[in-house]
Amino acid sequence: MYLPEYCEFLSPVQIASGHHVLEKIPGFLKALNAKRPLILADKGVTAAGLIGIVEDAIKDNVQIGAIDDDVPPDSDLKVVSRLSDVYRKNNCDAIIAVGGGSVLDTAKGLNILVSEDADNLMEFAGANKLKRPLKPFIAIPTTAGTGSELTMAAVIADHDNFIKILFGSRFLLPDIAIIDSRMTLTLPAFFTAATAMDAMTHAVESYICLQKNPLSDAHALSAISLISKNLLNVIRKPDDQEGRLLLAKAATLAGMAFSNSTVGIVHTLGHSVGGVCGVPHGTCMSIFLPYGLEYNYHLVNPFIAELLFPLAGPEVYADTPENKRAEKTIEYIRQLNQDLHDATGGRHARFLSEILNRDGEQMVKKSHFDAIARISIGDGTKFYNPEEIDYDDSMLVLEASWDGRPLNRNLVKKNA
Amino acid sequence: MGEYKTYRPKRKILKWLYLYVFMWFTGRAIKIAAKVDDEVKKEFDSIPNNFNVALEVLPYGPALVVGKTEDGKVQYLGSSTKDKKIDLRMIVHNIENAMQLFTFQESTAISFMRNRLYLDGEIPYAAAFVRVFDAVEVYLLPKIIAKLAVKRYPAWSLIRKLSGRVKIYLRAGIGV
Ligand SMILES: [Fe+2]
Repeated sequence: MYLPEYCEFLSPVQIASGHHVLEKIPGFLKALNAKRPLILADKGVTAAGLIGIVEDAIKDNVQIGAIDDDVPPDSDLKVVSRLSDVYRKNNCDAIIAVGGGSVLDTAKGLNILVSEDADNLMEFAGANKLKRPLKPFIAIPTTAGTGSELTMAAVIADHDNFIKILFGSRFLLPDIAIIDSRMTLTLPAFFTAATAMDAMTHAVESYICLQKNPLSDAHALSAISLISKNLLNVIRKPDDQEGRLLLAKAATLAGMAFSNSTVGIVHTLGHSVGGVCGVPHGTCMSIFLPYGLEYNYHLVNPFIAELLFPLAGPEVYADTPENKRAEKTIEYIRQLNQDLHDATGGRHARFLSEILNRDGEQMVKKSHFDAIARISIGDGTKFYNPEEIDYDDSMLVLEASWDGRPLNRNLVKKNA
Repeated sequence: MGEYKTYRPKRKILKWLYLYVFMWFTGRAIKIAAKVDDEVKKEFDSIPNNFNVALEVLPYGPALVVGKTEDGKVQYLGSSTKDKKIDLRMIVHNIENAMQLFTFQESTAISFMRNRLYLDGEIPYAAAFVRVFDAVEVYLLPKIIAKLAVKRYPAWSLIRKLSGRVKIYLRAGIGV
């Protein structure tokens, strides 16, 4: 086991997971001394019928202050301030956020405004500006992937000034995260694959990157094993409620791991490809994950080798000679991407040139590489990656991932 | 010699002095490296004009303040942040952690990982400044030590390293 000289681990969020957890919300609210929650969601969540499910589960036992499903796909400063009016006008005293990363980030921003009784969110931008606990906040993730329900950061865009504002404080963490299998049951196959691979990447990167520690490792290994055992089954049999729940639990475990020991190059490049080309985050993660392992191979191959056990199971692990395990791990992840590609009728992209938008157009062009590499060297996750990442390094990985070629590890720049 | 009382400086004061001298020299070296090294120059080009960066040890300093003027010149602005507009702060929590970092027992990357060094400001500029700092350490320090300080020791040509090192030492030391 790898034991760093120093490590930190914080995970104060109560997690309730199962097939019928939504019904427990009234009791949880009571325990938090709250009576009138504002329920937040986006249109997609409503369209999938999820708000209806939440409402039905709780309405007999709690007075819902208001329901607002007008959160845009990209959290926004003005939306947060509009929502604070809704919250105040309806005398709400708690927030329930139902959705993915953007709804949860919006809820975090809203919680600052209503708890601090403020109008200007900018006063609280940056790290550790909050000094006391906020209003009761329950998060109900609807994509088994992001892990936002466990992170103490929120990113909210100021679209007028074209900037993204980062908020970081332990007080932004929800009080309770509700993991209910009904929330991910109708997630389309292609989306299930991408978000699960995001969770897989959280677990794998937290295991190989520089903040790795025994506490986050334990969560990461469990997450990897759960995803590996259940993902393809769920894609092939979408109404497998038990498998869905296990994937959602895995995403939460991975969230606990990566919110404590941060991610690396897969996210560095993924953030920039998302920013430049608008590619969904999970898609970038699936594509870059094998490359992230190849890129750092010379520094962390014993850790990569250990991942073969949760990924492929004890038999494969035992049958693979020790010095081949790291390579086998990478091969296994490539094969998983291939299987997901096949199982989703080709919608799960295996490499960059294969990513298409709704109109069937290619989203990433080679001409984007320069901008992607430039942004990558300024992304915060690069600090946590075992190997340095400069412009040329990013280009090297981008070129290889264009058509799915394995990375030539000899070309990776190493300590001179 | 007169009748002076012997004054025993506490270890902290010695450490502070070490840091003061080290950071003063590094600050001057950064300004010169921005002139003699193309990569450092490029990094500063990515930072806006009228922008100051401070590397600061809490609670009593010292600090290293460098900045770009209105017209884009790189300047060393001294060992204190007092009364200066600081746009990006890199803060070391205490003097012991600063000693670990600046006696190269621990790389900048690992200091970050262990939350001994934290950032207040925009991350892309911090990333650029860390690259500047790394390059200057490669110039100033012998390879065996610089290797402990930076994440990846670069494969620079001997000419680049030596000529840069001579220029930086001469100008930072003598001020020519
Ligand atoms: Fe992610």
